[in-house]
Amino acid sequence: MELLRPSDLSQVDGGLPMHGGTEVVPLLRDGILEADRLVDIRGVVPRGVDGRTIGAGTTLAELEASSSIPEALREACRLAASPQLRNMGSVGGNLLQSTRCWYWRLKYPCRLHGGDRCHAREGEHREHAIFANDFCASAHPSDVAAALLALDARLRTTQRELRLADLYRLPDESDRRTTTLEPGELILELTLPEVESSVYLKAMDRRRWSFPQVGVAAARVNGGVRFGLAGVAPIPWLVTGPEALGDATPLPRTAWKVDVARALMARAAAQL
Amino acid sequence: MARLIRTEKEVEGRFEEVWLVVEEDPLTQWPSGPQAIVGRDAVRKDGPERVRGEARYTADVQLPGMLHAVLLRSPHAYARVARIDFARALELPGVRAALKPGEAKGLVEEAEFVGQPVAAIAADSLEQARRAVEAIDVEWHVLEAVLDPEEAVRRELFTIEPARYERGDVEQAFAGADVVIEGTYRTSVVLHNSMETHQAVCEWVGDTLNAYVSTQYIWGVRDNLAEELGIPGDKVRVVCEFMGGGFGSKNGADEQTYVAAVLAKRTGRPVRCALSRREENVAAGNRNATIQKLKIGGRRDGTIVALEGEYINAVGASGWSAMTEGPLRMLYACENVRTVRYGAKINTPPMKAFRAPGFVEGTFGLECLIDELAEKLELDPLELRKRNYADSNDGTPYSSKNLMECYELAQKHWDRRDEVRARSTGTWKHGVGMASQTWFGGGGPPSYAWTRVGSDGRITVVTAMQDIGTGTRTAMAQIAAEELGVPLDDVDVVLGDSARGPYATLSAGSSTTPSVGPAVRAAAADAKQQILEIAAQRHDVAEDDVTIEDGVVKSRDGKFATPLSEFLGLLEDAQILGKGARGPNPAGMSVLTFGIQVVEVAVDIETGEVRVERVAAAHDVGRIVNTLGARSQVEGGIIQGIGHTLSEQRLHDPETGRILTTTLDAYRMPTIADVPEIVSEFVDQPDEHLTNLGSKGLGEPPIIPIAAAIANAIRDATGADVHELPISREEMLRALEAAKRKEQRGAPAAV
Amino acid sequence: MSELQLTVNGEAYTVEATVGISLAQLLRETLGFIGTKIACNEGHCGACTVQIDGVPALSCITLAHAVAGDITTIEGLRDHPLVEAFVRADAVQCGFCTPGQVVSAAALVADNPSPTVDEIRHRMAGNICRCGTYPRIEEAILHWRD
Repeated sequence: MELLRPSDLSQVDGGLPMHGGTEVVPLLRDGILEADRLVDIRGVVPRGVDGRTIGAGTTLAELEASSSIPEALREACRLAASPQLRNMGSVGGNLLQSTRCWYWRLKYPCRLHGGDRCHAREGEHREHAIFANDFCASAHPSDVAAALLALDARLRTTQRELRLADLYRLPDESDRRTTTLEPGELILELTLPEVESSVYLKAMDRRRWSFPQVGVAAARVNGGVRFGLAGVAPIPWLVTGPEALGDATPLPRTAWKVDVARALMARAAAQL
Repeated sequence: MARLIRTEKEVEGRFEEVWLVVEEDPLTQWPSGPQAIVGRDAVRKDGPERVRGEARYTADVQLPGMLHAVLLRSPHAYARVARIDFARALELPGVRAALKPGEAKGLVEEAEFVGQPVAAIAADSLEQARRAVEAIDVEWHVLEAVLDPEEAVRRELFTIEPARYERGDVEQAFAGADVVIEGTYRTSVVLHNSMETHQAVCEWVGDTLNAYVSTQYIWGVRDNLAEELGIPGDKVRVVCEFMGGGFGSKNGADEQTYVAAVLAKRTGRPVRCALSRREENVAAGNRNATIQKLKIGGRRDGTIVALEGEYINAVGASGWSAMTEGPLRMLYACENVRTVRYGAKINTPPMKAFRAPGFVEGTFGLECLIDELAEKLELDPLELRKRNYADSNDGTPYSSKNLMECYELAQKHWDRRDEVRARSTGTWKHGVGMASQTWFGGGGPPSYAWTRVGSDGRITVVTAMQDIGTGTRTAMAQIAAEELGVPLDDVDVVLGDSARGPYATLSAGSSTTPSVGPAVRAAAADAKQQILEIAAQRHDVAEDDVTIEDGVVKSRDGKFATPLSEFLGLLEDAQILGKGARGPNPAGMSVLTFGIQVVEVAVDIETGEVRVERVAAAHDVGRIVNTLGARSQVEGGIIQGIGHTLSEQRLHDPETGRILTTTLDAYRMPTIADVPEIVSEFVDQPDEHLTNLGSKGLGEPPIIPIAAAIANAIRDATGADVHELPISREEMLRALEAAKRKEQRGAPAAV
Repeated sequence: MSELQLTVNGEAYTVEATVGISLAQLLRETLGFIGTKIACNEGHCGACTVQIDGVPALSCITLAHAVAGDITTIEGLRDHPLVEAFVRADAVQCGFCTPGQVVSAAALVADNPSPTVDEIRHRMAGNICRCGTYPRIEEAILHWRD
């Protein structure tokens, strides 16, 4: 394996991009990711906050300490992962993290790995999805993505500009990926539209250092409220309001998440 | 004087009849309360090296030419190795040796759980060994696995015959009871997760095996290895000077140690075999799950007239069946008790002792049931406990028991109930609960210690015990300093090396201080006596007229006072050597520990979040040696217990039996953010019948009552009966929903 | 194998190492800084915490070749007042997590010499202690300058 550390985007030519490494390094060790060439992209991805624009290389710890970003994003960063992981991990990398589904992490031949069944559905799934869980019941663990979804963030990549919602796709029979990012495409910047107020609430089973059981981000804009949810679907989940929980399809051991989501959405709306 | 006795020996609630040679010493106990050094705060002797990262753990042992061994583990819950082929593996770079099933203890042909080791490879690097293990070709003959403990009981698949106990006439007592309550309680599998994983480094020097092992029992490992390798015990030297946590899981040699020893022999090189965190959380032991069907009968006046329990310990593929019914049999005065305990053999990883095995689980069920009875009888739970106070352990007198004093210490915390409940606002409900506890912890013989006093006046205590992080090294130094009359700084303790010191017991079962402490005191007294004799001769006074105080040898009449270093300086290279042994436990008595904890919780009834806000603990473990270290033990036990109660749960895939929560993002131990206010108090009365010290152990008692106390506080706050650990949000919301339905049916509820 | 240069506790090192080796392994096995412990080796427990340019990072999931900054390990903090504060408060039981705790705590008090309890709990939550010395760690950090 080789490790390249380009200082300019033009020097990037193939290889597996890595920023803080908090997700890439463990997945490489487990053989879930494979690479002959690793590319440390810290020298080429913008870092820092400039008005409504956030460099994708900004760490969660830097965002946590930033006074100029919306409350939902700051709180999502503050409650994400552990202090050391927040110091290492970038916001761009956070958006691309994989599920914590234990079957997937243990390399069960599940649908997300290209197999023909979802082991969680019939197995241990107390932390799994309540929406869009028919094909794959994994839950997306990004607090930050939920917040940015509610905030309707726009992304600029090396190839295009897109809404955050368009970064994600539900895995299906023909394509098991959960993002639309093309090989070699890097997220460079995020831009946040103005919102009137925003909030992030998170249910965890520890007070800190826990992936979201249910994360609820809410943002008020033009009198309406947008909700972004973490931990409830294979991808960050955008909903219009609590009534959407009526469409949830919880598994036998995830019904409790619907109750938690309902309570947190009501609280989030009340706090806006 | 040495005396041969036949006695009952207890370790972690397991009893056996053994022959013991015991030596009695003439020492009388120190008076109760703080002494000059014992009974006071002492910072750890080895604190600086541990904090500064200088302490050498097994994980830090790097020997020249050291190979790394990795185990091949079964991917099936129950399967036989039909054929195994190392050809591909042995061709890989760096591979030096391989072991097939049967070539080292612990490598089996028939694997009974996913993760059981069957083969091993040693290579130059860990990475090479891992790759080689993946290249071993195995043909498995897969057998039918049983994963459900209740099914195992139905099919009579046991690791040990069912244990039955009965006293009085249970049927008649239930028939005559005013109130009878039944409940089923479940506890989940939890994992030790010592920060240092199980590991060993073995090297052969001539015909002697040097084994660096992360263990709670160097002598146990020594004997395990000697027996397995067919060599004398003294040809095995086991070293564990610093140890990164065990909690009961490191009491024996285990496969990684056997494999390292055999591979070291075969290759002529040192071999390390260390479990990864994920291996640790599969194969290094666990606190097994339990199912407890309990029944209690009471009279209106609060007298418990009958107790009955059917317990299933989901032991796993092997292991012992801990005394889950112990609390129900022992905690209260009740004439009619009947229990049966099944040790279900299922195809999951085996249990190992985990900090008060059985009693942690059994106290959860019993102490929840007691509070449910109190609620039904409309009696104060503390009052109900007092009314059923036991004066003997099923007829055997206690060597000492101060549980009533613990209750009195707890009263002020219990009296905060109204104030705490009044904090409830909105969806957050506050409440207070309690639970009490009994456990063993008296230790026993044999254990030995030596003291060496140099002519510089410094004292070294030598005993081949362990300090697994509980602070026993410091406690031994305090005891020796107290007895010798010298400052604590003048005492060093050499431990953790079976070739450098006499036998000392294992560091489990809350037994180190009560077992080794009296031997250390006797060894210090032996040295002191010799110093006094020498001083008496030097100054031509009677021995009785000489004392040592604060490091000064002096006559009582004030004729001379010489610092010990100066006085012994005369002796140049001469040394004063003392020896001491642990005396017997009191015959015909039950040596037990007791305590109570009062817990304040807050529950968010919409989201199921439970926050433990305050824990007040009052424990009776005889004399406290180190008051600072004792508070740390109480806090540590409570915090670990909060993890067991709220966030920790090992899960396995119901289809394959594979453990799913092997990583620490999925298996969630408490962080610093989860810690409540903790208040710890001690009765601190020496057990007058127990040794020259009067101390019992404190490692385990604090973890025992916490789960039930939390569950009882939740009931106080919300009216919900929690019957299952952990109390996840899912379980909490289920219990709240059940309470709501109960209320709608017209039954009283507290909300 | 590939050459890399590191600055550890103020000293410069040039070593040959395989690309992919973690900083933790390199520190422990190649450079002999055994105070940095490996307990989970996948970024979940904090035992391996080192500072990179003063910022706590998990050396077990940091690739040695990707380190950009000066490294401080527990060996570089042995004279820090926190060491004495930890000993005094009995903020150590088995001690296996403790060097990592001190490394995190040293970064915390460098940023904020008088942290509140809430700040301590927030900033120290990535260092797991199975013995449960947390109340003592909190006390040690609250009183680190006493």
